[in-house]
Amino acid sequence: MIRTIAFKELKELLREGRFRVMAFVMVALLVVAAVISKNYYQWVNNQHVTAKENARNVWVSQDNKNPHSAAHYGTYAFKPKYSLSLIDQGVDKYAGISIYLEAHRRNDAQYMAAQDQTAISRFGDLTPDFILLFIIPLFIILTGFNSFTSERENGTLRLLKSQGVSSRILTGGKWLGLFIAVLLVIIPGFILSVLLLGNVQDFGEFSIGALAILFLFYLLYYAVFTNITLVVSAWAKKSNIALVSLLAIWMVACLGMPKVANRIAESMSPYPTQSQFVAAVQEDERKGLDGHNPFSAEAKQLEQETLKKYNVDSVQQLPFNWDGYLMQKGEEHTAEIYFKHHEQLKTTYENQTSVYRVASVLSPYLPTRFLSMALCRTDYASHWHFSNAAEKYRIMMMDKLNMHFAENSTYGDWDYLADKSLWKDIPDFTYEPVTYSQILSSNLNNIGVLIAWLVTTSLMLMVSVKKMSIL
Amino acid sequence: MLEAKNLSKSYNGQVALNAVSFTVNKGDVFCLLGANGAGKTTTINLFLNFVEPSGGEALINGLSVSKHSLATKKLLSYIPESLMLYPNLTGLENLAYFAGLSGSKQNKEVLQSALSDAGLQVDAHAKRVSTYSKGMRQKVGVALALAKNAEVLLLDEPTSGLDPKASNEFSELLNKLKSRGVATLMATHDLFRAKETGTHIGIMKQGTLVEQLTTDQINHTDLEKLYLQHMN
Repeated sequence: MIRTIAFKELKELLREGRFRVMAFVMVALLVVAAVISKNYYQWVNNQHVTAKENARNVWVSQDNKNPHSAAHYGTYAFKPKYSLSLIDQGVDKYAGISIYLEAHRRNDAQYMAAQDQTAISRFGDLTPDFILLFIIPLFIILTGFNSFTSERENGTLRLLKSQGVSSRILTGGKWLGLFIAVLLVIIPGFILSVLLLGNVQDFGEFSIGALAILFLFYLLYYAVFTNITLVVSAWAKKSNIALVSLLAIWMVACLGMPKVANRIAESMSPYPTQSQFVAAVQEDERKGLDGHNPFSAEAKQLEQETLKKYNVDSVQQLPFNWDGYLMQKGEEHTAEIYFKHHEQLKTTYENQTSVYRVASVLSPYLPTRFLSMALCRTDYASHWHFSNAAEKYRIMMMDKLNMHFAENSTYGDWDYLADKSLWKDIPDFTYEPVTYSQILSSNLNNIGVLIAWLVTTSLMLMVSVKKMSIL
Repeated sequence: MLEAKNLSKSYNGQVALNAVSFTVNKGDVFCLLGANGAGKTTTINLFLNFVEPSGGEALINGLSVSKHSLATKKLLSYIPESLMLYPNLTGLENLAYFAGLSGSKQNKEVLQSALSDAGLQVDAHAKRVSTYSKGMRQKVGVALALAKNAEVLLLDEPTSGLDPKASNEFSELLNKLKSRGVATLMATHDLFRAKETGTHIGIMKQGTLVEQLTTDQINHTDLEKLYLQHMN
């Protein structure tokens, strides 16, 4: 009987001009957004591949030079672009795509897409995530707001209820009809994205499983909106009241809450500004060992300790070049400072995340947004994972260069030139992204909140249909 | 088949129905007469369990309507003053939908013959209801009663606004159902039709059933006199 109702709902919708126009616009928007994203992705990816090769070529084709000069010369680590980022670009636009790896300094990622854009584009790109997260819920509302109210206004509800249909069956049928209508729009989009992603060349990896899970989370999100739409439609006396109420809910959930949560998070635990961050790091650096200053107190202390350890009287007698060794110790010290300050950033990030968790109770948009970004590997966690990997590589690289200098030259020999074969001995930067199972386990919270939304709104739907007035 | 036992209903202290009792047996057509607001529609809504009684109970086939709301609805068919259907669906689709909901899954031929028996022209079956007149929609309502094999018919001013021919056709359909043993409760303003098709007549005034009689006891003129006497 649920099927009878769902089938009739669909038949009515499909015969309605309003629905057909909206569904057509939705599919068209999804197609356009997917094609735009695909082209952008391919363009960025081509640049990425070229830039990565160039950087490695520039590094290995250095002439014979002092290893520490090479360390200052530096190289680049490039953040790979993942095929799923085609669906949700997340923070990629603002997070930068490459990190300059050099001696003494942990740099932030640079070259953000947002830097190159004009002010108007801040109001939203036509990307699949914009349509999936904002527009489809609106489509659900516009399709289903009068699901119950129009039956009451037109008088069909009386005849319907006089047939002895239980409210459970009526709810199930109405729900299914609306949800299938949504699927009619989503499934072509899903198939299209599989085809597009499967056709993009040179992407790191494309996991159909991850795409399926992403799709599932979006379906949960739409199920929540379907519930909310029907709850309001059963509760409201008139269609226009239902529509206005639902639009208000949409604005709060999709536009208001994210902004409010952002403001609260930022005021409760603000990130340091770039200059504050740099100043704090410099402050710590001043207090510690500087590889370029052998006359500082810290350097002198290290010198004494080292001489004692090797049981010699002067740095000249050490079995390695003291300059190189000091340089490495200084590098290790700076790396620790950067690590400490990045850990503080991470704490701030976690504090902000807990604010978003609380806000998720009021907006199903938030957990979905975080899950979507996480699975597309375009959230901050993914960015940090990359940044940490790049830092690890930098530390390894500096260690190799400094220790080569220390072991192959004598004290005071700043004219020492390393053979250019050394540059090749330092392996190219390779990056293993976070696995999907790790992503899912670190997002259990968001998954839980989304499911809680589904359960709560389902219960509300049962109650409101049961209590719905027929007259 | 249909029984009202001291049925009462008040809305926020305002009495709409005051201890109304009557019985409608198989093959009876009980016509409720009375001014607007006399409680006719409230009585029907109580039998549909659209509203809860404040006192007394409504029984269909011995079952309390408020306790067995789904089971009692399987037995009845309801035609309101203006039967509303889904305008984007055809008459046949509407009938199939409502008949399907009442649990009687019927094949297309049965539904089509129900529509024809209810007097709907064959070429209208596959037309969208948005093109139907009120009389045609009422016929779909009768077809639904036929398709469901309803034992009880609840009619709320079904002929108001119908032209005399359509109204006459409707009365003939009622007679057909009456001969099948359907118990009918009908609220109406039409004294003539009440006398013609009804077997029993109840006159209501301000929520009270002030008169009950059988139609063979009275002629049309006297019925009108009696009615006016109560109204004044």
